[in-house]
Amino acid sequence: MDRPLLTRRSLVIAGAGGMAAASTGALAQTSPPAPQKPGALTVAPTSQAGLGPRLTMHAIDNFHGTPGAGMVCDLSIRDGDGYRPLKTVTTSPTGRPADPLLVDDALKAGRYELLLHVEAYFQALGVKLPSPNFLGLVPVRFVVRDVTQRYHLPILFSPWGYSYYRGS
Amino acid sequence: MAGISTHVLDAQRGRPAAGVRIDLSIREGDGWRFVKSMTTNADGRTDGPVVAAADAKVGEYQLEFHIDDYFKTLPDAAEPFVDDAVVRFAIFDVKQHYHVPMLCTPGSCTTYRGS
Repeated sequence: MDRPLLTRRSLVIAGAGGMAAASTGALAQTSPPAPQKPGALTVAPTSQAGLGPRLTMHAIDNFHGTPGAGMVCDLSIRDGDGYRPLKTVTTSPTGRPADPLLVDDALKAGRYELLLHVEAYFQALGVKLPSPNFLGLVPVRFVVRDVTQRYHLPILFSPWGYSYYRGS
Repeated sequence: MAGISTHVLDAQRGRPAAGVRIDLSIREGDGWRFVKSMTTNADGRTDGPVVAAADAKVGEYQLEFHIDDYFKTLPDAAEPFVDDAVVRFAIFDVKQHYHVPMLCTPGSCTTYRGS
């Protein structure tokens, strides 16, 4: 072998390290013109304890270490072979939209897609990106099965990767 | 070596995710042109390259990881929150390699430009 054997554990570490290295490099390139500042960390986490059924989201910018403020997100629901648009929201300075994506009766069981405008988000912050950027519009697909529950969808993202999960 | 490769990891069990179907598509105009389906081997990788160096072109690519089907087939799996995980990314320099891993559990997934 002419290169080190990658175990699964070392691969994950290498991937995370690569992400950090990429962030540092790109940050260094962006210093002079910054069209706007990423959202500041000024508020504590939000608890949804005791609330009724709803779908909420939270965009977290792992590149700047801030809430993902001003992220445009298109929500749609699976309908036949395609997705039917439901609404488009923009995240507030907390990284959350002002209102839940869906509340009470509006929350239907089904397969959803939330399309995040990641490239536009970083462009607006003056981050120097390749063209075309590695990530452009990021589809986040998930399933709502029980409409009596709360569904929270955090999305952690950078120009080089993202993660999402069922949060609380 | 340039091109595209992937690796699917079952982070719930801490091992490669074998038998995951992956569909490759390429952006064409407003739509996506389906190219091929692959299935991960025992190491969670595809037997051949997803896109070989010679075939890599600047443009947008889509990998649809059918991790929902993977978790549904496991004996102890709860119904997954994550649906089919669709990863769209661009090759912006054909001389570079694009390794795009998928780390998944029934309730989460992570992807990034790896190496």
